[in-house]
Amino acid sequence: MGKTYSLLLLFALFDLSDHTCENVQEQPEYDLLVIGGGSGGLACAKEAAQFGRKVAVLDYVEPSPPGTKWGLGGTCVNVGCIPKKLMHQAALLGSALKDAQILSLSALFLFHSCSSSLNVRLCCFLPNRKVKYFNVKGSFSDPHTIRGLTKGGKETILTAEKIVIATGGRPKYPIHVAGALEYGITSDDLFWLKESPGKTLVVGASYISLECAGFLTGIGLDTTVMMRSIPLRGFDQQMASLVTEYMESYGTKFLKKCIPTKVEKLESNRLQVTWKNTDSGTEETDSFDTVMWAVGRAPDTKALNLETVGVKTNSETGKIIVDAREATSVPHIYAVGDITEGRPELTPTAIAAGKLLAQRLFGQSSELMDYDNVPTTVFTPLEYGCVGLSEEKAVQCYGSDNIEVYHAYYKPLEFTVAERDATQCYMKMVCLREREQRILGLHFIGPNAGEVIQGFALGIKCGATYPQLMKTIGIHPTCAEEITKLHITKRSGLDATVTGC
Amino acid sequence: MSPPLLPSQLFLCYFTLFVVTLFFWGPDKVRRGLWDMLMYRSPAWSSQGVPAGPKKPPSELLGLQITLLCLGAVLSRAMAAAAYELLVLGGGSGGLAGARRAAELGARVALVEPHRLGGTCVNVGCVPKKVMWNAAVHAEFIHDHPDYGFETSGVRFNWRTIKEKRDAYVRRLNEIYENNLNKARIDIIHGYGKFTADPEPTIEVNGKKYTAPHILIATGGFPSVPPDSEVPGASLGITSDGFFELEELPRRSVIVGAGYIAVEIAGILSTLGSKSSLLIRRDKVLRTFDSLISTNCTQELENTGVEVWKHSRVQAVTKSPSGLLEVTVMSSAPGHKPTMEVIRDVDCLLWAVGREPNSKDLCLDRVGVEVDARGHVVVDKFQNTSRKGVYAVGDVCGRALLTPVAIAAGRKLAIRLFGGQRDAHLDYSNIPTVVFSHPPIGTVGLTEDEAIFAHGKDNVKIYTTSFTPLYHAVTQRKVKCVMKLVCAGKEEKVVGLHMQGLGCDEMLQGFAVAIKMGATKADFDNTVAIHPTSAEELVTMR
Repeated sequence: MGKTYSLLLLFALFDLSDHTCENVQEQPEYDLLVIGGGSGGLACAKEAAQFGRKVAVLDYVEPSPPGTKWGLGGTCVNVGCIPKKLMHQAALLGSALKDAQILSLSALFLFHSCSSSLNVRLCCFLPNRKVKYFNVKGSFSDPHTIRGLTKGGKETILTAEKIVIATGGRPKYPIHVAGALEYGITSDDLFWLKESPGKTLVVGASYISLECAGFLTGIGLDTTVMMRSIPLRGFDQQMASLVTEYMESYGTKFLKKCIPTKVEKLESNRLQVTWKNTDSGTEETDSFDTVMWAVGRAPDTKALNLETVGVKTNSETGKIIVDAREATSVPHIYAVGDITEGRPELTPTAIAAGKLLAQRLFGQSSELMDYDNVPTTVFTPLEYGCVGLSEEKAVQCYGSDNIEVYHAYYKPLEFTVAERDATQCYMKMVCLREREQRILGLHFIGPNAGEVIQGFALGIKCGATYPQLMKTIGIHPTCAEEITKLHITKRSGLDATVTGC
Repeated sequence: MSPPLLPSQLFLCYFTLFVVTLFFWGPDKVRRGLWDMLMYRSPAWSSQGVPAGPKKPPSELLGLQITLLCLGAVLSRAMAAAAYELLVLGGGSGGLAGARRAAELGARVALVEPHRLGGTCVNVGCVPKKVMWNAAVHAEFIHDHPDYGFETSGVRFNWRTIKEKRDAYVRRLNEIYENNLNKARIDIIHGYGKFTADPEPTIEVNGKKYTAPHILIATGGFPSVPPDSEVPGASLGITSDGFFELEELPRRSVIVGAGYIAVEIAGILSTLGSKSSLLIRRDKVLRTFDSLISTNCTQELENTGVEVWKHSRVQAVTKSPSGLLEVTVMSSAPGHKPTMEVIRDVDCLLWAVGREPNSKDLCLDRVGVEVDARGHVVVDKFQNTSRKGVYAVGDVCGRALLTPVAIAAGRKLAIRLFGGQRDAHLDYSNIPTVVFSHPPIGTVGLTEDEAIFAHGKDNVKIYTTSFTPLYHAVTQRKVKCVMKLVCAGKEEKVVGLHMQGLGCDEMLQGFAVAIKMGATKADFDNTVAIHPTSAEELVTMR
């Protein structure tokens, strides 16, 4: 009791605001409670712990409909970026081996070993004995209290002064397709399959869909992508069509303008998918071993019981509405990562936002997360990296007369000798047209796009202009150097193919 | 071969002849009119009332003089227009870039090249080197295939295949360069150009003389070999030039040198399966690089199976009856007694002990172009040599021996001479460089030691990281990635970036842009990472 009293006293010295006159609350156990042990949540918790605060993280993974579950670390580590990049790399090795024609599909097994080892690593560097971890499913019972339930139904009550919601999102299933939930899987399950998915249909045209279809093709599987309208919505559409064009030449099949209507299980255990081709108006059907839905992601806010505490969400998307400080409609409750409305669904933004939030909460910082010029890379067979505005967006913001687009079709040296087709190796830089020519966006398709674009993102963040880029000496022979040699404008109509040095 | 006259110049010549004919043998009235025009008066046929022209036509003698003068003036003007404005010695990266940019700006250009176009970079440098590096990277990936689930028994490597493809690609590039020159209406003069003792800087190629108000020396360099007097039998070895002529993968290679060329070739040969030894004079390779890089690179060479002989020098080379070489090496680590050892059955001894400029046979002394003790042409920041109207770019100047540097310097010079930008010159600071070692090295800006020297120890802050890239998370072969940021001053301006690891080659370029712009550590921190890449580590360093 004495301990509680002294803590209370200490607390009272600093902050009385939470103590209403008629009901002196018990001192919250934790300074910060983070719901969700993914990239954003863990980054925020770790940072807060560095300021010597008492921090707890709640993490609980609801099994996916087919029953896949995993441990701490969130989407990125378990069913997102990390296993996907490993598969992408396996696929690249696979296509490097195309001549050999000896593809073993045991590649998929590698996830288990690697994901679990990463899990362990994450757990190790999580606490430093400072962050307490609970494997419970948390929901609000009052603004400062979280009720946690273990898998066995045991209840834990945790109280905290400040709460961060970072429970992320999960893949959606289509609602009006019979058999979708019953027979289909999502990206949550793909990486944990015990055996090869075989002939696969991937439904959707998001980057997740294209990435998964890309590596499945790469490891030698018969893979089809079904898309309703355009690929990579939100990305530059010229680049998006180059990405899918390359995938087609790489062997991925595409069913364009098609909407699935039902999935049935055949006696052979295969799945028969029926869809409507909106172009021809006909109904078509084919059978697959696996059907994967990649039709978008949605947060699971229902279980959090947000209404009781008054945290506002967007009724359409279910995502939590936050301001520039990541604060929700309830002052001491914050949210970061995929669960927040209008933010990019990317690990590094969640991490950066989580860290900055902890610094503002406990480190006397006022620095806000800047969501402009966030670079990203789509790990399709030919990678696509970009930062800043798409050409469409730039035209929309500034008008086509006020922007200058420099572009080039180039041929990576590694493609030349191997006589690989480099038709889609393309880059473009969107600049303002006025004298300074500030760079608004940079788009790069080619090998190692992720590694290439990071440094340019830094330059663009610093306000790089076209002349500044031209002043930098190239590195010969690399693909990245082609960016510093861009000189053909789209406006000129000249041939943008790079010829020699 | 003198340059052909343009149609307009031809017309001018014929027109002059016509006028001259009229002057002598035309009707009187026309003759007098022409005379009036020569005397800057209105011709008689246009102004009737005014008494015009001399009473009688000029004497035949005077007419002849004037005519010859006119003819000479007109013809010499026509000839001058057809003569070259820029002569370029050397068809490598720097020469080609300078010539093409000058031609784009309207100059009449000729380029002198004794060999194939493209110079070192295309024929015996960056391009074929990178092709071989790619081959070696494939070999590394094949090691990892089982870890990624692929069965790859019976994969064999055939040196001849890649050599043929590489040679074909290089020949294609030679053609592309030739086409580019033709398209730009640049004359290619095949042969070796030398300066003559004429009063104006003049080049002689195959006995024919050429001159131009601007002459660019871009003759590059060549790999050096110690003289046999210094190392008996040294000439039995090859250089990087010879590396690209090898028809088979050597079984036993000895590479001498600690520079980037030695490191790259040792890495390629070793990775492709040649038992390789690298002989270095001190204890580390790449000693001019940041200590992190030179230490790590030495380590990685040893990890990949290259035998690194430290504190070692070649004493002698002999050829055994079997045709293989025996290399006698003296190793003398400080504090140890020197030891002598012989490496036997060597089928490839490769010297990578530096490069020398191609300046000796140019007869530069005849025009007073100054060279330094090692033969490098001395230039100022505008690429001017000590002789007016003579310039030099690229490896022959001995500074930053890199293709893109030569290209940029050549273009800047052309812009200065023919583009009206009198101040155009190349900024040699913050030039990014990649070494295609295994794994590749990327570096830009100051090393830690240079930064401390320039800014003082207290004003330099270093950030380093070392990690295993995701690619190696599932492989038995582990190759780490190391990175270092060198920051200076209170604002922590990033003045140097040094890294070695998978992907560092493609990673560097964008960071070089930012560092050139003066990015600070805070700017790095404010850049959102791209996950999962290795490059993201650079913006998440603490």
